[in-house]
Amino acid sequence: MSAYIIRRVIQVIIMMFVLSFICYYMLSLMPGDPVDILASSNPKITTGDIERLKALYGLDKPAYVRYGNWLNSFIHGDFGYSRTYRIPVMELIGPRLFNTFILSLSSLLLSLVLGVAIGVYAGLKPGGKFDYLANLCAYAGISTPAFWLAIVLIILFSVAVPIFPAGGTITVGTNLQGFAAWLDRGKYLVLPILSLTALQAGVFVRFARSSMMEAMGYDFIRTARAKGLNRRVVVWKHAFRNALIPLLTIVALSMSNLFSGAVLTETVFAYQGVGSLIYKAIIESDFNVAMVSFLVSIFMVLIMNLIADLLYAAADPRITYD
Amino acid sequence: MSDENLQSFDDDSQALSMQQIVWHQFIEHKMAVVGMAIITIFVMIALSAPMISKITGIDPEKQNIFKRYQKPFSTIEYSQDDKEAAIEKFIEEDAERSQRIIAAARSANVLESEVTDEDFLFEIILSEDKSAQNRLWELKSQDISELESLCSRFTSFHLLGTDELGRDVLMRLVFGTRVSIAFGIMVALASAFLGLLIGSLAGYYGGWIDSLLSRFIDALLSLPSIPLMIIFAAVDISKIPFVGGMLEGENQSVLKLSIVIALFSWMTVARLVRGSILSIKEREFILAAKTLGARDVSIILSHIVPNVISPLLVAVTLNVGNSILSEAALSFLGLGIQPPTPSWGNMLFNAQELIFEAPLLAILPGLLILLTVISFNFVGDGLQNAIDPKSIRR
Amino acid sequence: MKIIMLLLMILGVASPKSLTAASNNELKIGITQEFENLNPIVAQMAASTYIRRAVGRNLVDMDENGKYYPALIVKIPTLENGLARLSGEGKNRKIVAEWQIKDNAKWGDGKPVTGYDVEFTWTVALSKFVSVGERDTYHQIEKFEIDKANPKKFKTYYREAHWDFNQLLTFPVVPKHLEENIFKKFGNVNEGYAKNSLHVKDPTNPGLYNGPYKVTEVKLGSHVIIERNKYFYGEPAKIKKIIFKVIPNSGTLEANLRSGNIDMISTLGLPFDQALVFAKKVEKEKLPYKVKFKPGLLYEHIDLQLKNPILQDLNVRKALVYGLNRTELTKALFEGKQAPAIHNVAPMDVWYTDNPKDITLYPHSRRQAKKLLDSSGWKMAKDGYRWKNGKKLSLQIMTTAGNKARELVETYLQAEWKKIGVEILIKNEPGRVFFGETVRKGKYPALAMYAWISSPESTPRSTFHSKSIPTKENGYSGQNSMGWSNPKVDAAIDAIDVEFDAQKRIKLAHRILGYYTDEVPVIPLFYRSDVAVIPNKMSGHKMNGHQAPNTNHVEYWTFK
Repeated sequence: MSAYIIRRVIQVIIMMFVLSFICYYMLSLMPGDPVDILASSNPKITTGDIERLKALYGLDKPAYVRYGNWLNSFIHGDFGYSRTYRIPVMELIGPRLFNTFILSLSSLLLSLVLGVAIGVYAGLKPGGKFDYLANLCAYAGISTPAFWLAIVLIILFSVAVPIFPAGGTITVGTNLQGFAAWLDRGKYLVLPILSLTALQAGVFVRFARSSMMEAMGYDFIRTARAKGLNRRVVVWKHAFRNALIPLLTIVALSMSNLFSGAVLTETVFAYQGVGSLIYKAIIESDFNVAMVSFLVSIFMVLIMNLIADLLYAAADPRITYD
Repeated sequence: MSDENLQSFDDDSQALSMQQIVWHQFIEHKMAVVGMAIITIFVMIALSAPMISKITGIDPEKQNIFKRYQKPFSTIEYSQDDKEAAIEKFIEEDAERSQRIIAAARSANVLESEVTDEDFLFEIILSEDKSAQNRLWELKSQDISELESLCSRFTSFHLLGTDELGRDVLMRLVFGTRVSIAFGIMVALASAFLGLLIGSLAGYYGGWIDSLLSRFIDALLSLPSIPLMIIFAAVDISKIPFVGGMLEGENQSVLKLSIVIALFSWMTVARLVRGSILSIKEREFILAAKTLGARDVSIILSHIVPNVISPLLVAVTLNVGNSILSEAALSFLGLGIQPPTPSWGNMLFNAQELIFEAPLLAILPGLLILLTVISFNFVGDGLQNAIDPKSIRR
Repeated sequence: MKIIMLLLMILGVASPKSLTAASNNELKIGITQEFENLNPIVAQMAASTYIRRAVGRNLVDMDENGKYYPALIVKIPTLENGLARLSGEGKNRKIVAEWQIKDNAKWGDGKPVTGYDVEFTWTVALSKFVSVGERDTYHQIEKFEIDKANPKKFKTYYREAHWDFNQLLTFPVVPKHLEENIFKKFGNVNEGYAKNSLHVKDPTNPGLYNGPYKVTEVKLGSHVIIERNKYFYGEPAKIKKIIFKVIPNSGTLEANLRSGNIDMISTLGLPFDQALVFAKKVEKEKLPYKVKFKPGLLYEHIDLQLKNPILQDLNVRKALVYGLNRTELTKALFEGKQAPAIHNVAPMDVWYTDNPKDITLYPHSRRQAKKLLDSSGWKMAKDGYRWKNGKKLSLQIMTTAGNKARELVETYLQAEWKKIGVEILIKNEPGRVFFGETVRKGKYPALAMYAWISSPESTPRSTFHSKSIPTKENGYSGQNSMGWSNPKVDAAIDAIDVEFDAQKRIKLAHRILGYYTDEVPVIPLFYRSDVAVIPNKMSGHKMNGHQAPNTNHVEYWTFK
């Protein structure tokens, strides 16, 4: 088991290494660098200024040299300096990571609770009215562009009926403490969570439903029912446990979905997370921030996958890793 | 009857009934049928977009900058310029006819002031004061009623109002349908091709090729796609050797985007193909072909591909929806299909600034995306059930 | 679903219904652009400058009429008032200026602002390890001389005698007593000072600020809170606390305004198009806001690619200008709220002229345009476009994709120029491609539309001088992307920098404008307007329209 974990961790590291190079190369292929863009609208920036700044930022060197330098300092724990904000990347990314974590985790939990409850219930009576409705909603959730849903939610709940703030992370300048602070945070989280949850819950409903249907078809369940066991016991203790296993893999895979969704959702809601940071950093060619936030999010996704695989083994004794 | 004959007979009957089964199964899936109907309608709209534009006389590119953000069901007047152009055309069509009108008008003293013949008709029709115009219509002649009917057509009706450039929203959506659906299908096909290629390589050859490719597929599947696509979409293609030159021209943004999205959506297909190939690789007919010395390529093409066609169809259908979603997402970030080519995604991008003043502009394209994607998903689901009745509806 | 509804209800009830309305206690300002750390030496973003002006003042500043006025100093040195003196002749001509900082100018920790601070700022800015954008302001000063008896007094010696020596609009001041040790310790590492400055490590240190406010909270990418600074030298600020909030999406920004989450939208907020619509809404729904427009110095124009064979013909260039009704354009697209431009100098600038003796004016005349094109052999064909030798008169226009206002203008131009038989093809690129590659390297095939920030009385060296034509040899530096080269213009530009007689400078500027309008390397379009939304009850808020942010009079903003 531990050998397996070590192997997986090595894989994760190799993958991140490869990806970091690909991304760095891709970023270097983007047109224009920060200095060019600075100069483009300001005729007062002189030729000398441009040369001086490019040399200072190391932009005059070829991409592979810059990548080498970047990797070297990255390995030594120096994550670099944000070109846009002019502060060390670490200081920037810490709180952002926390925010994204809260957003992703709460929408993951919410969509799991909703998705599994609805899916299991629907899977018990396939073809029934509830099943029909649940299926329709699940498909709608999967097929809705999350950013569009975000806009619609803003129109509905911040403009038409102004219950929730249209964007932001916390109310600025209030200095709330304890519970009040969390409540304040919650207010800003509701709409982003809803827009992220719609998609994820749809996925979970479908999987919970189908695995439940599959599980209910197993012989041992039928036997249990025939033996006259309590329906609730059969459903939750036997069928659901079996349905849980495929669900776990889906939860792991959904981490990458959540991160993708977060980029758009956070951008629409101006939520201070890693997702919106990645987008902005790429757009403004803030290399260090783009690289670090990108790698951090990939790392989280990969680690979640690993954890899911391990849980998978724990849940299903038939599976062993070596 | 020899064994061989029996075999072929069986095959035939099975093939027939198989199709019937598939069809019946599909029909049973109500949502899939509805989805199919919606897709058919959309595809028809997309195909006949230029015709719709011609019949209704509304050009999706035509702007009226003075009539921006009109509400739905609004009728707007032509801009002075458009009127002028129409009259110019009227005069050019038949110079004598306009001379006759002018002569008649002059004798009836329609215009009080002195105006040259050249400007006469323009003066009457374009002036704010409609009295001269009305006096002219009272003269009643064939020529004049022709002109009158032309002038009565100087308004356009906009069922869904107009957008930020005064273009007809409905017509933009119609043309957007064309772009978005064509894009979805194109990308789905491209990714199917990629997936087929890589999947069959992995499945057919097995061994280290398989394990390498499988690892690669797993890795790609676990990555968050949007940040990666943002990076790829922001790249300046002309900086890449070889590829750069191939993508010059009008539809560069569309082509580039389709490549980017296809690069990140072939994995499910590849997995599927690999799985199917693994399951049939060891079957007798493949082994037979191998022993008969058939080349790998021909085995893949003539034996394996037909067997994976049906699951492939399902995957492609589902991929169309996903590609449309990805296009919308990237266009929404301003990295997708570039204006003036209308796509649902970039219509959303254009609308986001004014979601409070003109929420309909933001809501409609999103609704169409939702409707299309859900239809493709249902059809995919229906197909899956139909092809593989054992599979449980998901 | 029930859970969601319940959650909605709890949070809905809990959310404070009426956020405190704007008053002299607190003002919440929305901006769409990001800001960086507020170190004025390295900060380059517009939003940073905007916020920075409320907490720190420069030596000189510019008022809403475009006039320079002394901010931290007592008097602006000029030759006329005797505080500046010329010495030497010809190439060796130099200039010395005497400055005195206001007696009551203090840092937020009570320490006085002195000439040592100014000198320190200058030293830091010139270090090759510090990333400064425009370094020219600092570089033109050769040395400082501080009065030992009264360190508030100091002299600056300039390398060359340029008439604009005293326009130190971009010369901020940082506190030497707080930053010197940091600069000594980290100053010789690449960007070491910038990374370790107190502006990064301890941004709420009051000693960093000498303006009417001091920063009390900073969250990059989110907000800055500033509170009244009791050590400010000028009028005490009326509003106690100001919060700047970043809301990147302008749609969301407006929602925030309506829900009371912010009270006003700064000049770095609404796109023009959205502002127009919002202004109408304000009127219709009687919302308690004022939408303010002020024509500024952002010069929107079309660069003409002079290498293009069609555009090499002066007649075609002139025809394009004649065929364009700029007044109509601004009226149609911007409801007349942006001012049409006839050349690159704005009406608020003293160098401005619309005298037909100085420059060539192009009153809209389609007939004139057609005549010019006819005379160049471009004949109208049946398809409504002009042809010559089997070639269509077709030009490509490029601009930044996704910029609503520019796309609007493009389509307007397309329709307008069609009337004189010119076909316009639109190809837009994302901002970074457009600026980073296309314009920078002068790679656009025919027309490129974008804007320049200008300031009153600024020499068009980097945009008109033939040495500023970007080429591969000079590493694509310079912004003369049209490739315009006229030795007489070069000479006038060289002469204007060293001309101390204001009247003669105006003459030279007019000469440049004469060539500019006659040879049409650029089609002027309009001056972009600044837009801000302020609460009805607010007074004292003026719009600047130039590059000095209007937070330079934030202390006068107040509520009735």
